[in-house]
Amino acid sequence: MINKNLLRLPILAAALALASTAVAGDSPQKERHELMEGVLKGAKVVGPMLKGEAEYDNAAAMESLKIWQSAAARFGDLFPEGSDTGEDTEAAPAIWEDRAGFDAALVAWSEAIDAAIAANPATLDDAKPVIGPVFGKCKDCHDGYRIEKE
Amino acid sequence: MRRIVVALLLLALMAAWWLTAPSRFAPSKLPDHAADAVAGERVFWAGGCASCHATPVDGKRAKGAAKLLLGGGMELESPYGVFRVPNISPHADGIGGWSMLEFVNAMQHGVSPAGKHYYPSFPYTSYAKAATRDVMDLKAYLDTLPEIAGRSEDHSLSFPWSIRRGIGAWKRLYLDAAPVKASTAGDPLVERGRELAEGLGHCGECHTSRGRFGGLLEDRWLGGAASPEGKGRIPNITPGGENIGSWTASDIAYYLESGFTPEFDTVGGTMVAVQENMAHLTSADREAIAAYLKSVPEID
Repeated sequence: MINKNLLRLPILAAALALASTAVAGDSPQKERHELMEGVLKGAKVVGPMLKGEAEYDNAAAMESLKIWQSAAARFGDLFPEGSDTGEDTEAAPAIWEDRAGFDAALVAWSEAIDAAIAANPATLDDAKPVIGPVFGKCKDCHDGYRIEKE
Repeated sequence: MRRIVVALLLLALMAAWWLTAPSRFAPSKLPDHAADAVAGERVFWAGGCASCHATPVDGKRAKGAAKLLLGGGMELESPYGVFRVPNISPHADGIGGWSMLEFVNAMQHGVSPAGKHYYPSFPYTSYAKAATRDVMDLKAYLDTLPEIAGRSEDHSLSFPWSIRRGIGAWKRLYLDAAPVKASTAGDPLVERGRELAEGLGHCGECHTSRGRFGGLLEDRWLGGAASPEGKGRIPNITPGGENIGSWTASDIAYYLESGFTPEFDTVGGTMVAVQENMAHLTSADREAIAAYLKSVPEID
């Protein structure tokens, strides 16, 4: 158990590093891309737990949730007018055509994260009903606000 | 001589008429089964009925509770023209008042209560492979949903597809209730998966290439296909493809449940609606679909 946690530490550290490498001066396209890479790293820690492939680990799950929480707080600022193209962005035009819908999807994700952090789930059975919806909100927002790559 | 020509022409016309006649289920063939609306709800999600028949909201795919409002109206663009999806709510403008036999004939023989052929944009060629009991359960469930008034306009198709009767000849080639994958090696999990994937789930309709007349090429079963909407490609979902070839059965089942790939990317495009339907199934049913997909012949 301890060993497993130790193995996960570098992954989390890398995720945190990625989440914080984007600095002022980067384009919004680049910053949001790197933020999302950090979110994905967190998903790769918690996802296998929900899927039953990795043992549930409260500390690691909470750490991922906190990465997502700070990403969710920053994300909304990273889609200014004019950043709809460039740097291979996967942002869909719908973000600017339906800004209210996009913002609402982001709020829904943020609220699900806050609720999961508040619940601080101790076991997998506690985690599934609160972290599952966080994953669901990823999907909801990608469906419509992200373009499909070939 | 002229008489012979006329007689031959008449004979050919009669043969064509006979060849294109709708075939229907004999009333005596209907299984002795008390239709169960609760079981029918699962059939509804497995069959993906809402993905086409739920009325779009503000021009977008219906979500949540709006998926149960089956007034139709969606337009499906295709190489043959535009198909307009009909109302299947239990209103008189939909399937209200249909008998069980009429419903089964629609679902599994592609024939309307008035005895007309349906176009195979309605995937009855797949539903024909489902268990008739499941179809009966589905009707019991549909009858519990809200009644919606209104009929869709007719399809706008190009010649010769515009001749509805001609579908009878097409059905002779492509409507077959027999399973695609002949053997399930006596494995009940794969067998259940086959019913779900080949029949109700109609996976092959998008994931299998079509031949010249729009029939599925069974020797390319689930090997991927051009997108029916014209852009992109629908993935190969056999164990031989680079799309999901490396996925385990539990990866597939988890994807259908959660919408997440083994790399924790999310489901995209037209598969989103399908995955959301599959999320309503039992885990046993999703595992059965996964076991079936791992068992089909590899296509490169």
